[in-house]
Amino acid sequence: MTLVRIVVWVVACVIVFKVVLLRVEVDGISMLPTYKNHSKNWINRLAYFRHEPRRGDVVAIRLAGIHAMLLKRIIGLPGETVAFADGRVLINGKILNEPYEKFPCDWDRAPVKLGDTQYFVVGDNRTMPQQDHTFGECERNRIIGKVLLSR
Amino acid sequence: MKIILRLALLAAVIAAGVWLWTILFPSPEKAVRRQLSELARDASFSGNQSSLAVIAGAQRLANFFSTNVEVNLDVPGRIQHTLTGRDEIMQADAGARASLDGLKVEFPDVNVTVAPDKQSATADLTVKAQAGGDRDSIWQEMKFTLQKTGGKWLITRVETVRTLT
Repeated sequence: MTLVRIVVWVVACVIVFKVVLLRVEVDGISMLPTYKNHSKNWINRLAYFRHEPRRGDVVAIRLAGIHAMLLKRIIGLPGETVAFADGRVLINGKILNEPYEKFPCDWDRAPVKLGDTQYFVVGDNRTMPQQDHTFGECERNRIIGKVLLSR
Repeated sequence: MKIILRLALLAAVIAAGVWLWTILFPSPEKAVRRQLSELARDASFSGNQSSLAVIAGAQRLANFFSTNVEVNLDVPGRIQHTLTGRDEIMQADAGARASLDGLKVEFPDVNVTVAPDKQSATADLTVKAQAGGDRDSIWQEMKFTLQKTGGKWLITRVETVRTLT
């Protein structure tokens, strides 16, 4: 009986820590001050099993695979128009309230209409130069999951 | 007992034969993966190389590419450059080897698609590059197109993939 329990625990741990959760280390400063460079976290791959990604979620976006991912915050949902004006995010022309943004920025970006499967993602660190920051439209199939330890 | 031993021996010989076959005659996908793995290894270098080592390294790297290769690098905020032909690749690589204090290149994710005729293939991959002395790495998704030429897989085109548009 003990052996069965051990086996069940081992299988459960393997499923949780190899399939459901992905351990990640933040490499870069684009999510400051929310997530510091070289900080550790987990990605929940089942977060969007029952519902689609929501605005404000911090998500992992795959590149060619899952060994390297972008960590970004969703600010625009499919079908919306997203723009930056004087550092403010405009969703369908209205200013988005972003309590996680602690410092002012001066970014400008022309409005972009998102497709049916596209989300607009951006890092929290908007004090860095706009041209050095990777942000923009992201296809739904690139979103791997949601950060587990949210702030 | 003797028959079982003979059968076991036969099975072992067949398994060894299959293993040897896959080593000597790898599938196109395996061959491409191996080629890319060697590319990452040869694109990496340590700092303070002699002039001879710089030239040899650049020459070795150029041999992975076809003579009419086209490389389009477009990493916003980092690099925007187009290289055409082996000579330009050699020059660019020699320049990098002479100016950088080392470079470590890795391909942590590689997805290979071989064409039905098995004469060409594409590889979508993630490049991780870290220059010597730099604390942070550059991560970039790229697409390589390869062509089988004279039994060797040569890279004919390299382009950056914009993960976010």
